[in-house]
Amino acid sequence: MRPSFPSSFLLSLLSLLCFSPYTAIANASSPADSISNSRSDYHEQLILRPLPLSTLLASFNFRSNTSLSAFEAHNFRFFPRSLGQILEHAGTRELHLRFSLGRWDAESWGARPWNGAREGGTGVEMWAWLEADTDEEADRKWLTLTNALSGLFCASLNFIDSTRTTRPVMSFQPEGNHIDANATNMHLLYGVLPHEVVCTENLTPFLKLLPCKGKAGIASLLDGHKLFDSSWQTMAIDIRPVCPEDGECVLQIEQSIDMVLDIDRSKRPRDNPIPRPPPAHEMKCNTSKPYHAHDTCFPTDSAANQDWSLSQIFGKPIKGTCPLTDPTVSPVCIQVPGSRVVFASEGAIEKKNPDQTSRCFDFPAENEFEIFLPAPEAQDGSVVIEHVVKPETPLLYAERSFTGHGQERGGVQTILRNPSPNQEVEFIYMESLPWFMRIYLHTISARVDGQPGKADSLIQEVYYRPAVDRARGTQLEVRMTVPPASTVFLTYDFEKSILRYTEYPPDANRGFDVAAAVITILNKDKSGGNGRNSRFAAYNLRTTTLLCNLPTPDFSMPYNVIIFTSTAIALAFGGMFNILVRRFVAANEGPESGLKKGVNKLKAKVAGILKKGKKESAPAVAAEVEEKKTE
Amino acid sequence: MNGGKVTLRRTAGLYAGAAVLRLALFTLFPGLPDLLTGRVEISTPVTSFKRLQEGLFLYNHNVSPYDGGVYHQAPLLLPIFNLLPSFSAFPIFTYLLYIAIDILSAHALLRIAESGEAGSSARFTSPRRDKRWSGAIIAALFLFNPFTIATCIGRSTTVFTTCAILHAIANAISGRPFHAMVALAFASYLSMYPLLLLPPLILLCYDRQKLPATGAPNAWIKFTATMVMDVLGALAVLFQMSFFLTGSWEFLSSTYGVQLTLSDLAPNIGLWWYFFVEMFDSFRSFFLAVFWLHLSSYVGGLSVRLRQQPLVVITLLLGIFSIFKPYPSIADASLFLGMVPLYRHVFPLLRYSFVIAAIIIYTTFLGPAFYHLWIYAGSGNANFFYAITLVWGLGLSLLVCDLAFAVLRDEWEVERPEMAGKEIRQI
Repeated sequence: MRPSFPSSFLLSLLSLLCFSPYTAIANASSPADSISNSRSDYHEQLILRPLPLSTLLASFNFRSNTSLSAFEAHNFRFFPRSLGQILEHAGTRELHLRFSLGRWDAESWGARPWNGAREGGTGVEMWAWLEADTDEEADRKWLTLTNALSGLFCASLNFIDSTRTTRPVMSFQPEGNHIDANATNMHLLYGVLPHEVVCTENLTPFLKLLPCKGKAGIASLLDGHKLFDSSWQTMAIDIRPVCPEDGECVLQIEQSIDMVLDIDRSKRPRDNPIPRPPPAHEMKCNTSKPYHAHDTCFPTDSAANQDWSLSQIFGKPIKGTCPLTDPTVSPVCIQVPGSRVVFASEGAIEKKNPDQTSRCFDFPAENEFEIFLPAPEAQDGSVVIEHVVKPETPLLYAERSFTGHGQERGGVQTILRNPSPNQEVEFIYMESLPWFMRIYLHTISARVDGQPGKADSLIQEVYYRPAVDRARGTQLEVRMTVPPASTVFLTYDFEKSILRYTEYPPDANRGFDVAAAVITILNKDKSGGNGRNSRFAAYNLRTTTLLCNLPTPDFSMPYNVIIFTSTAIALAFGGMFNILVRRFVAANEGPESGLKKGVNKLKAKVAGILKKGKKESAPAVAAEVEEKKTE
Repeated sequence: MNGGKVTLRRTAGLYAGAAVLRLALFTLFPGLPDLLTGRVEISTPVTSFKRLQEGLFLYNHNVSPYDGGVYHQAPLLLPIFNLLPSFSAFPIFTYLLYIAIDILSAHALLRIAESGEAGSSARFTSPRRDKRWSGAIIAALFLFNPFTIATCIGRSTTVFTTCAILHAIANAISGRPFHAMVALAFASYLSMYPLLLLPPLILLCYDRQKLPATGAPNAWIKFTATMVMDVLGALAVLFQMSFFLTGSWEFLSSTYGVQLTLSDLAPNIGLWWYFFVEMFDSFRSFFLAVFWLHLSSYVGGLSVRLRQQPLVVITLLLGIFSIFKPYPSIADASLFLGMVPLYRHVFPLLRYSFVIAAIIIYTTFLGPAFYHLWIYAGSGNANFFYAITLVWGLGLSLLVCDLAFAVLRDEWEVERPEMAGKEIRQI
């Protein structure tokens, strides 16, 4: 018997009023302890993984639980109160929020951390399951949620309006355990802001949600200067209800930050950040190159700058552990081959994991903690020893780009490469495009590289909701497969609209950001039976965002255009009605018009003056006579 | 008898020549149809063939084509094109359909020309009426007009409207008012604006019908009411069929609403798009109303002033629509330019024929060039293309005004035969 997540608000409020806070906390914490002994309410972990080409992946993970009954009783212990109240107010069952920057270089870095489950496309991305009876109510709650989160995270989430919101049908499944996961009152809404620049003002509220607020524990390493200087970073917040097989349901909030740091760049001192070439004697050259000589050098990448320490990279060591964290989970782990030496600060206990590729460190709560990874020993060219754990090959590589030129129309081409030699990949490709990219769905085609002609059998299912001007964006979900060891080109055409001039941003010629395509690779072996324990997606990835250049009007001359066009219309209208309403007469008939009368008078006067002045001015007189004659 | 046969043979040869030319362009230059379909001068959001294909695709996949921002054309086009074998597999059937439509239009134009209505209507006979071109020449001028050919190759759906309008006129002249009204209803159903041709078309039908010489003073009221009821009835049937086809009334806002509110601001040769790109938001609806009012303001004035020659009213209105309607294309200009040779007899009275010809040729070449500079080369901005559309509009409106002037002067010279060739002025 599990309580449904948002239940009687009034009752819980009453209970809060009746009992003293201490009793309430005691009541709340006791069932949580009884769920499982292994899982504490809060734990945090930092996993460091050196990647090829002198980069370092740092994955911060913070997870806390609160029992649903405590949540409903407004007992916020580890769960942030500010967020909890927003969720309750907006009827949110499950929330996922992503702030991302940069591009994951899958070709050299391999598979994504967490199998891509904790990342978003560049900018801000969020999706949530809301409890609502109708679509309109869901939209209202979504608006409440985005506006509230916008204030909480200092992000422009309030700009997620109807044109940027979609309701994905195939791409997302709830991660948590919902009692009625398929019920009609669960609405999934998805919004994305590709243009949003993620920065320090988003990190600060993120850290404030943590129990130790970034003052202690691994979160003390997080600093805007380093985080937003990385090659790729993503901050994720996932809130979901989790119901273990035995025991009470808990509401879980998982916050994670993944970042890829360029070690060279991070080691540069902050007061002298300009990169300079290393002196010649410090350069490590690739001696296998034929042109290697005493005055030429091809720098080696592999072993370069593999020595680093935490304080070099992050600017400071870890300030002890967060006292609230679960002591059974090691706070820092590093994934390097077992052969490499890792020095840790005094008092730390190194635990090598049996897989020989990772080791974890426990250290006293009050000490500062530091890791030093010395450069791998020099070796002769014959023996190649891995300095870093070889990156796992991802299930799929995806790249998306525009085709065509000009500001009138274009095409989108996604190159999907399946590296596996014998397994085909089935996935859902989702695009949410702005309305001013009018896509032509009849041009969508998939083609296997090297095989001429379309291979439409690759596309198995398409869900398409066309855009409506100024009201709704395009939503396209394609379920498709890529055969083993092959590359598939997915293409479609679109047309660029011209907007009203007030609809362009101030930097109109920069272009408009188009959100990343979301690729969800389906999990084939759903061995969990009811699907509870097996994840819906085996792997997630997102392409980069695109920049779409729209035709622009001349912003400087609205008045001129209004005047010119009005003049053209007036000329046509005036010309036509002038002809229609006036009578025809012979040129010498009818009354003289006022202007002509004046002109004639003037002419006569001029002629008179001329006559008086110069008697010999015969041509003028002749002209005068002729003028009279025509009249 | 023999002469008739010769004429018939000549006409058949003309149609065959036009068809062969089009077919040759379709088949010998396979890239040409798509190139022309992409041109803003030919395809507008409400007539583009590519959008029609998208609508057809959505319609065939059970997505309402009107629940989106791409398809703004009449619902009945969907089953018509659905009946044809699939375009991607057998494009030749679509080509043949478009060629047939062009020839049908030309044939209607030929009937109009042969009737001699332009020179001598029921109430007016021009003194110059003998100086006219035969129907075959007028049909040839229409069929071999580069604008008409480009429209046909670009497969713009305006050709259906053109065909319906020309048949409405031809039927009205040949004394079949009901057929004329149905054809006009069809044209209005496809493009909305031809509804404004209703008053002059009723006048034309009224003049041309073989009335029993009744003295009933209110016969014309009854006649007008019948005609209006015919059009409304035909429209109601078409709308009802569309409703059954799409299952909802949302096609109304997506087809006619777009023309009324100009929500799609794609560039075209008209004057509306740039004006409403640059318009301040608070004045947008006001100026939309003004523009529509302006468009319809000519109907009354022309119908009253040129009551004796309703065909002239229709011609002038077609010219005005080709300049001032929301999404004009060169297809509209080609219809107007196809009607103008009917007035061969007043050509000597045109005052600016050289200027007009020069402007039309000049804009025809500079328009695409400036569009390229703006969109592709990036060395020009939107004002380049806008300026050309402005000149094009001015050139065509000069032609419309000049034609009106010539026709009115021709009318006036019936009263004052001695004034032919003399200097005149208007007061």
